[in-house]
Amino acid sequence: MLVTILATCLVLYLFQRVIWLVVPGLFALMIYYGLRPLAEQLALRGVRHETAVASMVAVLLLVTAGVVLKLAPPLLAKVAHLQGAFDHYVEGGQNLLRKTIQALEELAPVLKRASLNKQVDLQIHQFTDQFAEKHLGAMALELLKWLPSLFLVPYLTYFLLKDSTNLKRFLIRSIPNAFFEKSLLLFARLDESLRSFFQGLLVLTFLDTLCLASGLFALGVSPALFLGLTAAVLSWIPYLGSVIGCILVVVVAAADFPDRPSIAYSCLALFLFVRLMDDFVFLPLTIGRKLHIHPLLSVLMFFLGATVAGGTGLVLALPVLGVMSVVSDTVAQIVTDRRLRARYRAARDFAITSHMSLQGRLRPPNQDLPPLGET
Amino acid sequence: MNLFSRPASSNNVERLRKLDVFRDLTFKEAREVSELLHERVYEENEIIFEEGDLGHGIFIVISGKVRADPSHELLKTAVLEFGPGEMLGELSLFEEAPRTATVIAVERTVMVALFRSEFFALLTKNRNIGVKVLVRMSTTMCRRARRCLLRERHIPSL
Repeated sequence: MLVTILATCLVLYLFQRVIWLVVPGLFALMIYYGLRPLAEQLALRGVRHETAVASMVAVLLLVTAGVVLKLAPPLLAKVAHLQGAFDHYVEGGQNLLRKTIQALEELAPVLKRASLNKQVDLQIHQFTDQFAEKHLGAMALELLKWLPSLFLVPYLTYFLLKDSTNLKRFLIRSIPNAFFEKSLLLFARLDESLRSFFQGLLVLTFLDTLCLASGLFALGVSPALFLGLTAAVLSWIPYLGSVIGCILVVVVAAADFPDRPSIAYSCLALFLFVRLMDDFVFLPLTIGRKLHIHPLLSVLMFFLGATVAGGTGLVLALPVLGVMSVVSDTVAQIVTDRRLRARYRAARDFAITSHMSLQGRLRPPNQDLPPLGET
Repeated sequence: MNLFSRPASSNNVERLRKLDVFRDLTFKEAREVSELLHERVYEENEIIFEEGDLGHGIFIVISGKVRADPSHELLKTAVLEFGPGEMLGELSLFEEAPRTATVIAVERTVMVALFRSEFFALLTKNRNIGVKVLVRMSTTMCRRARRCLLRERHIPSL
């Protein structure tokens, strides 16, 4: 287990170094596992594999282009008033917080004596003053830097869908006969582990989006679908993501309905409800049941992952741990199996002996061996 | 350019269709199956699998010859050599269980392996192929079981 944890930490550290490749790779893997059942269905209906893959990636690109074209103009319009929008939402959030603290102070006078309201106001002012001017521009530039690597996503997805079987066969061809069956088993387990995780994550995101968007729509907060989807995607970051998503939605509700704090509180209640559904219903049904990772180990890995590789480590700790568990289990089976190693050594010795005797036969007669005819 | 795949040549596909287990497949279906098979070459006296190993699939002899070396009395009465076209290890295809004999290459042998999970993927992916292959395999296994019951000299299911 210790080896698995150390290997996971090492992989997370390396991933952080090539994060520009890891992120599109992960998105591609996620889309690959999402689209693979469709590709198999098309193949079942008689469509050629290459045609099925090409048409699916083409549809995916068209849908993405459609969504970008639909969303880009309003988003760009908002970027032009970034500072204004930021101030509007911060003010909304601040108002809500102020009202909440006032209500709390009325309930508990000790809070009033501690001037909690003033303290919180001061802290928020220190944080938000000139935040947009100082950091938002840099954040937008960072996002632009990421865009080119995200163009790799459809490209990688296409080749994963088209060539994953061939890639696996290519790798297996290089494995010695003695380890052949175990290696096949390893590939099957890895595939199953990744498939379970990514398909589970997609289903979980869909369910979260559905619940949050329906709730927000019922409360009159808009754009409900966009906010629900953003919060669901943010919850891919364990613990922290849910909190950020919750704050985002509550702040939007507080800013858009400044005179009705009950809506913001309802959003908070909705988030708590969806979180509970996630932990006790959705997660066990989708990801948790399939990865078979002990909850204590999960929490430990989140901390280790965050320490070793920051945000990347936090997001990737569980999937990488799942994969490394499978790899280390199978490698341990191979390494500790004396019979397999003996078979490998025997085959290798045979190959070396054959190679040497072949070289001996091909050696020019004027060297060590007597000329033909004298033997 | 395709870096990873070695496209199945017509000869290879035709060779596959001559094997008893794939005899009922059309050329197109055999080409699809060939994508799932793993070709392995075993040198003389090289062990293919050992009794007690957890089996994960079947092997089909393409060329050469292999010998089974079981410890079970019942299997010792059987013909223990498998030649071109014969499959072995089929019990592990349906149940992940330990191999019932050790199998060794008598001479340089070319085999193809069909892995359990890939076989089940094939059954769901293309039911036509799945049914045809499954019927052929079942026929072979029934024939072997019947001969075993009748105490004839037979090729065993391993």
